Amino acid sequence: MPDEQTLTQREGASTAPSPAAAGTGLELKSLTKRFGEDVLAVDDVNLHIAHGEYVVLLGPSGCGKTTTLRMIGGHEEPTSGDILLDGQSLLGLTPDKRPTTTVFQHFALFPHRTVRENVEFGPKMHGISRAERREKAMSALDMVGLRALADRRPSALSGGQQQRVALARVLVMEPKALLLDEPLGDLDRLLRLRMRVELRALQRQLGLMFIHVTHDQEEALSVGDRIVVMHDGRIEQVADPFTISNLPANVQVASFMGDNNIFEGTVTATEGDRVSIDGGDAELRALVPGADAAVGQPAVVSVRAAAVQVGAQDASANGPNQLLGEIEVIEYLGDLVKLHLAAGGRRLVAKVSGDRYPEFQGKEGESVRLSWKEEDVRLLRA
Amino acid sequence: MSDSSEREERPAGLHAEEIDEAEQVVGERAEEMALGEKERAGARGRRALTTAAWTAPGAVWLLFFLLAPVMMIVLVSFWTRTVSGFESVWTLENYEFLFDSNVYWEQLWNSFWHSLVIVALSLLLGFPVAYFLAICVTSLRFQIALFIIALAPFWTSYLIRAVAWIPMMGRQGALNTALQELGLISEPLDILLFSDFAVTVAMLQLYILFMVAPIFFMLAQIDRSSLEAARDLGANAFKTFREVVLPQSMPGIVIGSIFVFILTMGEFATVRIIGGGTVSSVGTIVQTQVASVQFPQAAASAVFLVLAMILGVFVLLRFSNLREDL
Repeated sequence: MPDEQTLTQREGASTAPSPAAAGTGLELKSLTKRFGEDVLAVDDVNLHIAHGEYVVLLGPSGCGKTTTLRMIGGHEEPTSGDILLDGQSLLGLTPDKRPTTTVFQHFALFPHRTVRENVEFGPKMHGISRAERREKAMSALDMVGLRALADRRPSALSGGQQQRVALARVLVMEPKALLLDEPLGDLDRLLRLRMRVELRALQRQLGLMFIHVTHDQEEALSVGDRIVVMHDGRIEQVADPFTISNLPANVQVASFMGDNNIFEGTVTATEGDRVSIDGGDAELRALVPGADAAVGQPAVVSVRAAAVQVGAQDASANGPNQLLGEIEVIEYLGDLVKLHLAAGGRRLVAKVSGDRYPEFQGKEGESVRLSWKEEDVRLLRA
Repeated sequence: MSDSSEREERPAGLHAEEIDEAEQVVGERAEEMALGEKERAGARGRRALTTAAWTAPGAVWLLFFLLAPVMMIVLVSFWTRTVSGFESVWTLENYEFLFDSNVYWEQLWNSFWHSLVIVALSLLLGFPVAYFLAICVTSLRFQIALFIIALAPFWTSYLIRAVAWIPMMGRQGALNTALQELGLISEPLDILLFSDFAVTVAMLQLYILFMVAPIFFMLAQIDRSSLEAARDLGANAFKTFREVVLPQSMPGIVIGSIFVFILTMGEFATVRIIGGGTVSSVGTIVQTQVASVQFPQAAASAVFLVLAMILGVFVLLRFSNLREDL
């Protein structure tokens, strides 16, 4: 089939993500970018991405994720550091000389060309004959299901269709790495949910390195093999989605990922793997195997909203990992109910199953007992 | 490079139909589709009325100040001239006179050619200016400031700008004096004023902004990330310009060319002032005829001038599909 030829990868393509073999894949070494004197956009980023891996750069706006992607694509030159692809430095190469292609946030289609001409653009620039590039373009369009619209102008397409043209346009190039800059940012929510599944399926099928930039936590968790959480130009944590979600490495990750209750306090006692922390109006006990917390040391812990158990205010809550809280706002989200609570001076969130909504409905202002297990208390790096 | 054996059988297609479906639910069209046939017809009627109301003032204006005068010119060109003007007696003698006049046709061709040269020169000099303003200057504030500076000559009257060329370019003018002081020339250059060259330079200066402005506005609309996308897909800087920037600025080039062509084709004031009697154009011929009260002949001359302009515009329009590209 023609599209198989078009889209088959060059090297290491159909193999599953492999551990960092020396010299293959993409290597960011001490990558740093300054804008002017004061702005340090990317600060000493080190990262290895294997062929066939789907990596998401996640962080709030201004965290350096897009700048990092643009440096890989050649649209920004790093201030220092190196970018190696299969052992070869990409530095100094203009974007047209790099084996990477980018899907831009606003699609960046050429409005004066038809869909097919848009897709043909890359092969045309590489001097591929008219007949061959047409064939390549049509099979790429087949792949995104747009063959029928090949002769339309992009302005005659819907957002989702434009997004697929943008994908076809880069896939036809058979890049070694596909860079996606907020690729779903311009789409409606429903379409976004669909497209992220499709992106994931496409990446699996092609076995191609995808580097996807987003500020949407849910999107990152849903598509990535690995997630790189960035903050203020630095990498805060690199891990698989489960770990990022359940075992945030530090306060930045825990608070950015959202739905984490963060407590600051002092270590009051250690007893085997158990660490007791005095958080002012809350007493916490964490089960941390191999913890090296010393008594009197400041500590920050987090408890996932989903780990918070909400019960009736039957007994007084005076043990560790227990609090009395007042329900401020109840958010019904279908599959789950999110309770926003006030406990003493602090605000907490708890998530319970959507089935329990009738139980909480209309109970804003009431007090409940909150509790959680020791193993759900995470000791964070400050 | 490619290796088909390792790929799976199923094409890696996105589920296009499902996505379209999902999209249609949220599509804006849904609302319109929900309207009944009758309501839609009513809405269409109201819309037509609104459209008519908006276009009426412009239409009236064009009728009285463009269409009526042009019709009048055509009419007068078929009337008989008298010593003091004309009378409404049908005749073809104005056109017979015109067809016998080699001077007129030579002049018409000269003016046509001269206008094309000025169009080409203003494009050549104006495009880089527009490109610099629209693409290279990234700060919007700076962009607007520079654009206003470029517009500054328009704050003075057109005639004053034309007259101002005389002390600049004359035998004893600033340019000649400066060149002599610098020792680059020993005799003042005569070509600088009262010559074809002088008229061309002056017109270029007077009209170049009509070329810069539409190109600037087209270039400013280009999505910068589409330029990055072109680089990304393997186009070098030159190909990006040729394949992405130039086609997208084509409507601006065509509109600017039409402006400059029309404005220079009918020129007579600049030709009179800067050409100083040594240069003539169709415009000056018409003006001379009007001055000697030969209105019907002037009208006939003007008719062919207008036809030549229409021909030029028609040719220029072939370079871009404005309806689709704008």
